[in-house]
Amino acid sequence: MKRFIQTIVLALLLLPNLANAQQEMGPVGPTWSFPVVYNYDEEVTWYFDLSTTQFAMGEDIYIWIWSPSEPDAGNWENSSDFAKLTYVSGMTWKFTLTPTLYFSMTPEAIAGSAGFWFRLKDDAGTKQSDVANIAYTPFSSFYTANELIRAYPTAPSIDKGLSILFNANLAPGFEGATSVHMHSGLNNWDLQVQYQSWIPEVVLKTKLKELGNGFYKMDLVPKEYFAAPDGYIMQNMNFLFVKDDWASTTPDQVLNAAEYVPPPPPVFSFFPQQISKRDFLGIIRTNNEPGIIKLLYTVTAGATQITGEINGSMTEIKGFVNLPTALQNVNATEIHVLVKDNTDRTISDTTIPLKTLD
Amino acid sequence: MKCKLITATALLALLTFGCNEPDDGSYTAPISIYEKIDGQWNLASVKMVDEVAKANGVEPNEQNLSGFFNYEDFKIRFDVDAAGQPTSYEVLGDVPTLFPANGYYQLSSPFQQPSGSAVRIHLFSDAQKTQKTDELRLTAVPGSAQEMELQLVRTSSGTPFVSYVFRLTASN
Repeated sequence: MKRFIQTIVLALLLLPNLANAQQEMGPVGPTWSFPVVYNYDEEVTWYFDLSTTQFAMGEDIYIWIWSPSEPDAGNWENSSDFAKLTYVSGMTWKFTLTPTLYFSMTPEAIAGSAGFWFRLKDDAGTKQSDVANIAYTPFSSFYTANELIRAYPTAPSIDKGLSILFNANLAPGFEGATSVHMHSGLNNWDLQVQYQSWIPEVVLKTKLKELGNGFYKMDLVPKEYFAAPDGYIMQNMNFLFVKDDWASTTPDQVLNAAEYVPPPPPVFSFFPQQISKRDFLGIIRTNNEPGIIKLLYTVTAGATQITGEINGSMTEIKGFVNLPTALQNVNATEIHVLVKDNTDRTISDTTIPLKTLD
Repeated sequence: MKCKLITATALLALLTFGCNEPDDGSYTAPISIYEKIDGQWNLASVKMVDEVAKANGVEPNEQNLSGFFNYEDFKIRFDVDAAGQPTSYEVLGDVPTLFPANGYYQLSSPFQQPSGSAVRIHLFSDAQKTQKTDELRLTAVPGSAQEMELQLVRTSSGTPFVSYVFRLTASN
């Protein structure tokens, strides 16, 4: 009983404190936007990773932003619904807005402001994050850069946003285009979204956003756009832009994925550099292309022919031709070596002189 | 002070030379290489060396052949007679013939060279050792470790371009 009273007293003592306390929730984690690049009068979704904060998963969180303007001014203790974030998953929330509308400002005024400065809070304003900033990527330099294509980021990731800018003024045949569409694929066209101009939904999906004056923009998240299965490793994205109903096309374009390190080129070699008919001839190929796991050789010395195959892996295919046994009773000053791979592609077709032994 | 120094020096000299008693031992004939290599040897590894690449510092200049051509079965036997003199040799195992698989042999010297250069094993096709067929270099002589290394060097106009290095262990 005594302990119970003590507890009550302690609680009463703490109560006023609690009521006045501004609970600090910590710094806002990484933020990003989709589209990756956007004009201030375009709709954009900002994403907030709050795993660095003490907010609870799925909690109601509001944005209180005062720069470039303060739309929810005076409502710290009861945020407006328009300032509410949407919970995505994990510890990620999002907020969708069109900056010119949300801040009631012109694009020029927003561009001239100090940027987007905010705190994240609960409705009643008892919890607040540290002051944070959403970075904005200007891309106006593209308009004068004389570049046909520019991507943000230059090396895309499969599950992250990608913006591709296109200057149709530099693409012959694109004058007077009604619309521009993207014909594309992942991993050397393995997973495609073709521009099927007879299917309305596809026409819409593949359509680039017009920025005016012959400039266009395509925004996508590759995983969603190409409906890539989970675990799909994106190596690159191939695409070309099409005017109207295939009236004109740009040359093929490719973006290498961020997580993808292009493999080193294949290296083929004989071993050793000089050889006699009493030596083994090494045939080695490293860094093979996918599916190349076997070499087939034909060694000809005069009337004698030696054939065989060497099995290996993409990493290395290595074997030795037993010339000492095959050419024991053959007089030859040179050998002709033809090497093909398991797709019947000629890897090497060469003549090697044989050293005369002392 | 001076006296102390002299005493100390004398003591040091006594400690250094005082107990030196040379033991010349009794004479025994030195152990020749023939005795050391006598018997059968199993392959530990064999590699092929691109001597041209090696001379020019080009990589890779070696390839391990141990996993190719049945080399794991490679054995070589050197025989000596009762007098400790070399007689015949034989390669065992179904492996390609890089040098004649059997014949007779003779070392360039029964002892290691003070210069450190490798003793040659001359190979012959006849017991009289007049028909030389090839030559191996004994690049590591068996010691307390029952291991030796033979090198077969291919030369053209006196310049080596390929060699094969056989690492062997005594088979008991």
